[in-house]
Amino acid sequence: MDVLITDDSGFMRDLLREILEEDHTIVGEAENGVEAVELYQEEQPDIVFMDIVMPIKDGIEATDEITDMDGSAKVVMCTSVEQAEQMKDSIKAGAEGYITKPFQKESVLEELNSIAAE
Amino acid sequence: MEIDIRELETYQELAHDGAQSAAQSLAQLTGIETRVQVTDVSLMSPQSLSYEFIGDEFAGVNIDLSGEMAGEVVLAFDEQGRRAITETLVPADDPEKKKSSIEEVGNIMTSGFVDGWANYLEAKIKSSPPTYIQGTGPDILPTSASEGDTHLFVFRSRVEASKDAVNEPIDFRILLVPDADSLERSLEPQTENIISLEKLEVFNEMTMEGAEKAATNITSMTGIETTVNVSRLSLIPIADIPTEVGNKRYVGTVMEFEGKLGGYLVILFDQPSGRAVVDSLVPMETDEQWGSTEQGALQELGNIMTSGFVDGWANVLNAEIKHSPPEFVADTGASILRPITTEIAKSDDHAFMLDSNIQTDSDQVFTCQMLALPHRDELEQALDDLLLENAQNTTVDPDDLF
Repeated sequence: MDVLITDDSGFMRDLLREILEEDHTIVGEAENGVEAVELYQEEQPDIVFMDIVMPIKDGIEATDEITDMDGSAKVVMCTSVEQAEQMKDSIKAGAEGYITKPFQKESVLEELNSIAAE
Repeated sequence: MEIDIRELETYQELAHDGAQSAAQSLAQLTGIETRVQVTDVSLMSPQSLSYEFIGDEFAGVNIDLSGEMAGEVVLAFDEQGRRAITETLVPADDPEKKKSSIEEVGNIMTSGFVDGWANYLEAKIKSSPPTYIQGTGPDILPTSASEGDTHLFVFRSRVEASKDAVNEPIDFRILLVPDADSLERSLEPQTENIISLEKLEVFNEMTMEGAEKAATNITSMTGIETTVNVSRLSLIPIADIPTEVGNKRYVGTVMEFEGKLGGYLVILFDQPSGRAVVDSLVPMETDEQWGSTEQGALQELGNIMTSGFVDGWANVLNAEIKHSPPEFVADTGASILRPITTEIAKSDDHAFMLDSNIQTDSDQVFTCQMLALPHRDELEQALDDLLLENAQNTTVDPDDLF
């Protein structure tokens, strides 16, 4: 699958890349919500891993824009935020999955496979 | 029980003046130069309180108070302080007289500490004869603090002193633990600035849970086994906050949070602990001590720890609390805190500070301090809105919603 990784932390992008690139293609890495929307338009990935707390534009706003542009977009929030209200906002924005940091490799792959199977 | 925040501020100021008076008594008796570092009023568990006296041997006195303000006062000197006092007052090698000198100095200083309260209350506060105490950790705690695990209101003063330029600094602490009836009577609401003590306790417990979550996140990411040793909620003059954090050098992150509850969160690792964390997150040699790779790793850890810390508040308050991306900081604790305190001092002179210390039980040296400084008006409103029956709802499983 073609995957777009969005996280303002280079450390976390490297970690996700390491987990995903064995079986999937990383088509881009975005450092904020604005870059994520641009890269989504250019690359049309199968799935987006999206952080929430980011500068310039946060992950919930970016998810909202991406799913508005493409109703079939698949976005998984990948964040340290564990607040019910922000989870609900993520659902409203169109996210289909939610992984909390710090995560295990298995939980990332499990979430990706479950969304891919839908 | 409802308490008046403005009255609490007044009592904090009285405790500060009392500590200054006690410090002057010490200077007159022994020639030891003193400076009151900080006085705050804290809500904390007996376990957290006992960590006040961990790491050094303390000696001092325990005095019972009765009358308008009943409770217990503990005045304790660290080992350098005990030696400086006993060597000045009893040069001869007489252990009993040395002990007696500590009792007398403690007695005189405690009088200085409580007399201001009595004058403010226009009432008598009687002191019992001093009981000599010596030891570490729980050995030094007031008796009322070693019974049960109810959170205690404690007036804490830390005083730094030195005998002369070449001596090591002396540290002594004064703790006043008022009994429940005195506290209720003293803090009886007089103004509109009322806060529920039960809600304050619940909020403090939520913060302890948040700190534990943050500690678990450190362990998950770095493999360093950590635990929360101290968690307290203090009312403190804003100007004293940089002094409270001190001039030791730290690395860490600063975040601003906003929403139902706004404010600042500061995560500070002492330099060796920061290095240990970075080494476990980025297992490769780099040329710079705190280059972009190291900063990025600490920022991401700060991000995850912050969420662990504030998400519980948001879930219990049924609200969103968003935080900014972390800003890397490397400086003395006081210098890191000063820009924040300058900002919050624009609207108030006292702040509530939530202070959690994360350490490791193993031989590895590791300390991390998390300081939250919520905007006071928002905290007071949040506590007003807090439903005690929601207090357990700190966590939420994404699988329940997705």
